[in-house]
Amino acid sequence: MSADGVLRIENVGMRFGGLWALKGVSFEVRPGSIVGLIGPNGSGKTTLMNVISGVVKPAEGEVAYAGRTIADVPTHDVCRLGIARTFQVVKPFAGLTVRENVAVGAMYGRDGATLSTAACFDRAQALLEEVGLARVAERPASDLTIPDRKRLEVAKALALDPSLLLLDEVMAGLNASEVDEALHLLRAVNARGVTLIVVEHLMKAIMSISTSIVVLAEGKKIAEGLPAEIVASPAVVEAYLGARYAARQGRGRT
Amino acid sequence: MNRLLRGLGLGGITGSPQAFAVSLGIMALLLALPALHNGYLELTFRNILMFAAMSYGWNLLGGYTGYVSFGNVVFFGIGAYCSAVLSAHHVDSLLADVPVALVCAALFAIVVGVPILRLRGHYFGIATLGIALAAADLANNLDVLGGSGGLALKQVPQEQFSLYYYAMWAVALACMLGTFAIARSKLGYAFVAIRENEDAAQVLGVWPTRYKVTAYALGAMMTAAAGAVYAPANGFVDPSIAFAVDDNVFPIVMSILGGMGTAAGPFIGALLLAGLNEILQSQFVKIHSLFFGAIIVLVVLFLPRGIVYLIGLRGGMRRYLADRAAFRV
Repeated sequence: MSADGVLRIENVGMRFGGLWALKGVSFEVRPGSIVGLIGPNGSGKTTLMNVISGVVKPAEGEVAYAGRTIADVPTHDVCRLGIARTFQVVKPFAGLTVRENVAVGAMYGRDGATLSTAACFDRAQALLEEVGLARVAERPASDLTIPDRKRLEVAKALALDPSLLLLDEVMAGLNASEVDEALHLLRAVNARGVTLIVVEHLMKAIMSISTSIVVLAEGKKIAEGLPAEIVASPAVVEAYLGARYAARQGRGRT
Repeated sequence: MNRLLRGLGLGGITGSPQAFAVSLGIMALLLALPALHNGYLELTFRNILMFAAMSYGWNLLGGYTGYVSFGNVVFFGIGAYCSAVLSAHHVDSLLADVPVALVCAALFAIVVGVPILRLRGHYFGIATLGIALAAADLANNLDVLGGSGGLALKQVPQEQFSLYYYAMWAVALACMLGTFAIARSKLGYAFVAIRENEDAAQVLGVWPTRYKVTAYALGAMMTAAAGAVYAPANGFVDPSIAFAVDDNVFPIVMSILGGMGTAAGPFIGALLLAGLNEILQSQFVKIHSLFFGAIIVLVVLFLPRGIVYLIGLRGGMRRYLADRAAFRV
């Protein structure tokens, strides 16, 4: 293990009762890349996000980032390694304003101890402008629409000043132009040097933004490669659409 | 920045600034009360200030982090017995009583809080109830604390009567200002983040156990300070006084009535509830508890965020109804 900023996922397995939600999953995420994590419903994407962010400890294998094994780090300290995440089911602090929600991220994030309360609010305001929520900064988070709540999740995670950001379906429920805005935002965040792991069901969006794709099905990694390779992979087509469809498509091509 | 937020009537976790200003104003008036040389009034308001301090003690954990304690009277008892035991050893000074009580209460809160505040949900509330009952039993059976017979403290000379009023006033003011300062700091936002969503707070770097125990210990110190001043003023402590059921329930109701998770709520709640209690007891000698209960139910139903919300309300009935519809009252 080294402190080179690579996220190493080695042989990770996670079991709920008798069911393996993840089994033998290994891959690496290089600093500065955008990795798309895809797979059918129930394939273990969110579970893997929970393992990487230290919310659950894997039953097997390990995840290491910046020279530290995540399972050895308390959940509340994972963000101070530089790992931030959003939740698929958004978790706003409903009773606080939108700006306060983001400010909390700045207060206890990687550099939070060095920031004054006022500096945290200033960073929150800047991030709200970046994600397009400045117009509702003073409103309670409970007032936000679903797309705005997704934006708030991203802003809260960015407030931690992460080097690795895990995004769990932040584009679900957005319309076409909102998806474009979101992609633009993610590219801008990545351009600042933040590594991204993106879980998403919108194929067009994820294929266009990712530098590489990892495909999970039934808890196992079934493919990894460039977006163009993944689209052409028979194993991926089979996982999504079934063996018969894959076979038919394979015949058509020959 | 914060002033701007509050100027707009939203945000900030101190609650309505108007309500806090009103509270400070009333506190300033109460400082002049002993000049009236009315023993009855002084005693009544000393009690109100005591309850205010205890309510602040409950509010820090219950109102700000959302973990409801049903046993904060334990800390009042600890404070009271600290003074009583010191007096038994011929130490009769609030300057000794209060610091010793603060240290003992904080230590007890940490020892008890670390194991039970690790858990989420209702375990904490149930555990605190058990601890309150056990503490009274313990005091009943410990000879050092005088057992069920209690301990007498040194008699307060008549000319020092007001000293204890001023001391209680200072304790209440410290609790009020302390709560305000916490609510304007990062610490306050950690508390509220835990209340609003503990999972989300955790991935944002807030260590829940640490901040819950901090809130519990700070609240314990507020409650114990009230107990430490009360005991010498009362001149006598026994388990039924130190761990009285009313002293356990009233501070909770006061916070709810005034406004949980605000810097003015416990004080306003203590004033209103104590005032209400006086009036109802004199008007309806036999059934005052009935009216008392009804008023509490109405507040919980229609003003769950307490009187502080009402004081800060701008926009009248329409705003109230809109807030109610959005579960924001």
